[in-house]
Amino acid sequence: MIINHPLLGPRDAAEFVYLGDAALIDRPDPEAENADEQFYEYGYLRDNPAGAHQELWYHEQGDRSWLVVTRDTLTHEITGVKLARDEAKKRGRNK
Amino acid sequence: MADFTLTAEPFLGRFEQHYDDVKLREIYDVAFVSAAIPLRKLTAAKKAVSAAFGVDLPEVGMSALSQDSDMRILRLGNDQAFVIFPRAQHDTGAEPHVADLLGDVFYTTDQSDVWVTLEIAGTGARRALERICPLNIAPDAFGIGATARTSMEHLGTIIIRNGEDSFLLMSASSSAHSFLHAIETSIANTA
Repeated sequence: MIINHPLLGPRDAAEFVYLGDAALIDRPDPEAENADEQFYEYGYLRDNPAGAHQELWYHEQGDRSWLVVTRDTLTHEITGVKLARDEAKKRGRNK
Repeated sequence: MADFTLTAEPFLGRFEQHYDDVKLREIYDVAFVSAAIPLRKLTAAKKAVSAAFGVDLPEVGMSALSQDSDMRILRLGNDQAFVIFPRAQHDTGAEPHVADLLGDVFYTTDQSDVWVTLEIAGTGARRALERICPLNIAPDAFGIGATARTSMEHLGTIIIRNGEDSFLLMSASSSAHSFLHAIETSIANTA
């Protein structure tokens, strides 16, 4: 499997480590009223789609960047690769 | 008590070997300083590099030689750069030397004893790497000065194209002999 890194170009999947669902970027607000419920969901509940799935991959044998990879769980086709840093900023993180 | 004198030896004992169309040798006494770019300091980092080395901070995946050609700066990621140069020139220590040149913009760390460096050169160099290097190192994809961090035979490696038919390979000094063995095996397998 080849992951087309946004900065470095096509790289073998062996250079990467897989973490899981990219929903982990959206860490809940610990001050929220229902923070306990939100953290329970954040920590334990995952969607398990048969199809397009956004997931976090770490380029350990490369530039040590985190990526958000959109992969089809049925075919392993990769349809999108973004830097997790950019994606987190887009979702409202300030740095 | 006996009077001992200790002499430091390169990791691979100045290894040098010629094969048909490939030459493999250890480059020793390389000073290797990591220069990480702090968050939101990219503009300042670019300025510091131009002032210190007389060249622009390379794009990710490229390296550049300083104006007087004795230092090479590698850009391996958004915020990850390295400076390499012959160690013997700076007795005061590699990291203070680079920190002096760059000012206080970068986070600098001396990694000189962490890396072993091999140079593989000759018209057969690319062929010798084709089974061990997972990257496309054809000249149109990986020209002179290009650099990348990858893994070869499971060992983390930095590769730099430093000439038409010449590459520098850097890997952890703690597994220097395994790395040399892997490269030699690759040369033999593709001869």
